[in-house]
Amino acid sequence: MSEAVSEAVLKTDKVTKVYTMGKREVRALSDLNLQVNKGEFVAIMGPSGSGKTTLLNVLGCLDKPTAGKVVLDGVDVSKLPERELYKIRRNKIGFIFQTFNLLPYLSACENVELPMETTKRPKNERRQRARELLKLVGLSGREDHRPQRLSAGEQQRVAIARAMANDPAIILADEPTGNLDTENKYEVIRLLANLNINRGTTIVIVSHDSQVASHTERMLLLRDGKIAKEKQGLHLVKKKLMCPYCGSKIQPNDERCPSCKKRL
Amino acid sequence: MLVIVALSFSLAIMISIPAGVVANQESTQNLTQRFNSTITETEQQINQSTTLIECSTSSGSMFSRPPSDMSGPPSGMFNRSGFSFTREEFYMNESVVTTISSIAGVKDVVPFLVESSSETTQETITTPRGDFIMSRPLYTITGVCLNSSFIDEYSVLPTDITAGRNLREGDSGVLLMSLNLSKYYGVGVGDEVEVNGTSFAVVGIYDQAGQNPVETRGVYMNLTDAQTTTGEAGNVSRLDVYAEDVSVVDSINTQIQTMYSSEINAREITVSTYADRLANLQSQETSYTELLNNAESTVAQTQSVANQEIIVALAATSLIVLFVMLYTVRERTKEIGTLKAIGFSGWSVMSQFMLEGVILSLAAGVVGIGIGTVAAPILSGVLLPAINPFGSRSTGFQTSGFASAVSLGSSSASAVVTPTIMLFALGAAVLLGAVGSLYPAWRASRTRPAEAMRYE
Repeated sequence: MSEAVSEAVLKTDKVTKVYTMGKREVRALSDLNLQVNKGEFVAIMGPSGSGKTTLLNVLGCLDKPTAGKVVLDGVDVSKLPERELYKIRRNKIGFIFQTFNLLPYLSACENVELPMETTKRPKNERRQRARELLKLVGLSGREDHRPQRLSAGEQQRVAIARAMANDPAIILADEPTGNLDTENKYEVIRLLANLNINRGTTIVIVSHDSQVASHTERMLLLRDGKIAKEKQGLHLVKKKLMCPYCGSKIQPNDERCPSCKKRL
Repeated sequence: MLVIVALSFSLAIMISIPAGVVANQESTQNLTQRFNSTITETEQQINQSTTLIECSTSSGSMFSRPPSDMSGPPSGMFNRSGFSFTREEFYMNESVVTTISSIAGVKDVVPFLVESSSETTQETITTPRGDFIMSRPLYTITGVCLNSSFIDEYSVLPTDITAGRNLREGDSGVLLMSLNLSKYYGVGVGDEVEVNGTSFAVVGIYDQAGQNPVETRGVYMNLTDAQTTTGEAGNVSRLDVYAEDVSVVDSINTQIQTMYSSEINAREITVSTYADRLANLQSQETSYTELLNNAESTVAQTQSVANQEIIVALAATSLIVLFVMLYTVRERTKEIGTLKAIGFSGWSVMSQFMLEGVILSLAAGVVGIGIGTVAAPILSGVLLPAINPFGSRSTGFQTSGFASAVSLGSSSASAVVTPTIMLFALGAAVLLGAVGSLYPAWRASRTRPAEAMRYE
């Protein structure tokens, strides 16, 4: 996989973010350079306070960098005013949150429809797409349930469906497994991995959980607002349909390696 | 929910105030209308009888404490805080008829005997200055000289006969009864009734025209019958003196005044010409107009108090909406952040919160109208100064039947919530909802998503 051929979906150029807390200045990001290519599954790791969430907010146009450039799908978003940014967030980015952030008074289906609300799509088409997405995340038959009647794992899957609603160029997930138990954690990470393999969705997750991060394709370790280290994850091997532990052939949807029985 | 309750109360107050104001205005208008129509009617009556000189015996009123051994209330007694008016009746001898008839220029002299029954009823009359218990004669006997030329030429008898026939010349031992009385006693044409121990046959029922008690609860009979049954043989209480022409009215009047100067000075007899009656009406009109002006200025004052109160209520309502929506925005910071993160524009977040504020206050408006409709009479009573058109003067009893007809039962204005006020209140609710949620919604729209996400 050559870098030159790969198309960059997301690229930052010396991104700096400084928070002013009283008289003290906190440098959350410092001249950070990063590139995410189309179809990549990337994890950003780091201890707390290393700037993970800040980076994700800047990448997701939720926050503006103090200095530097963020180019998303060919557009320099760091220069756009707020009245343009919401369109970028709506059309190019899908957000997944640690605490799911579903609207409690809307059904699963309505939550998924929400990002399409301000688009020009007709109502019935939105409804149909929401149902398809819920089926994709394995929640068909639960479309009309309110979030409080869904388990934590199911809620996060609704949130993933919501993030996919407007076919974004990139999905950004902030600790997507942080509030889930082990079983649901793997369920969600596998779902994201499958979306990446089967649909080619570009995904960036932030996690401090190395087990979760190891299932991605590329891991970036953040320290003091800079990328300190980069290593390959299991997902890269999985993409080649080969078990990373024993090297035998696997299917994309396999939960465990058929020969060595290790969890993929 | 609590919000809706608080809001709806303030809206209820808001609609009660105009309801009260409208009611006050209407009651003043009614009063003016009744006053004007009474004036017009009286004026017409006066204008129809330019040649008439009225000589009536008056009832000299005396102030006295009621006698302790009083067996029954005397006729025509007003009772209030232990004091009473007793009437002393005066009569003229029938010979006066001949005397006055001989004056040059007099065409006819029509004698009447008007006598109150000894039976009385107790009536409670509500006036602005308190409740009066008034004992009134149950009915009034009018003895009429049943001369066919008098009946034809002058209106000596009631004209609106609803059953039976009117009295005519030569009638004796019969009477004409008012509809009110016939209902009260349950008697009709052909029945025998007893008046002071004498039996009379009812020949006809008439419909009482005006508000005058003499007419509403009256019986008419032959003058001689009336004199006998009341024990006033040879006495009359009123003479209608008709001049041959308007030009001689003044000279006749002067002669009567001279002849009976002592009685007139003692106020036992009152003589009034067309001019006198018109002047009297005009003086009553003046004093009544003054009262109505007072009432109108009181209404105007009420209006300004009401305006102030409405402004306070409006401010309170929009402050409630403001704080509630600020709280809501705070509570839902995370939700706002999420909405913005998944692609909602500031404008759509703002309009959503505005809409919420409007719906909230619209719901409160509907509940408030419900409460207001029920509670308006009470609330407007509490919130508005009471309207008392007869402010410092108690007029109900001062003047004749005319005045009491206008004043009695006049000023109890009760607030009613009209559809106009309801629409106004709903409009105000929507407007206040929009105004009150404007700032909170704007704040919501300006929330930076990254900060909103951190908010727990």
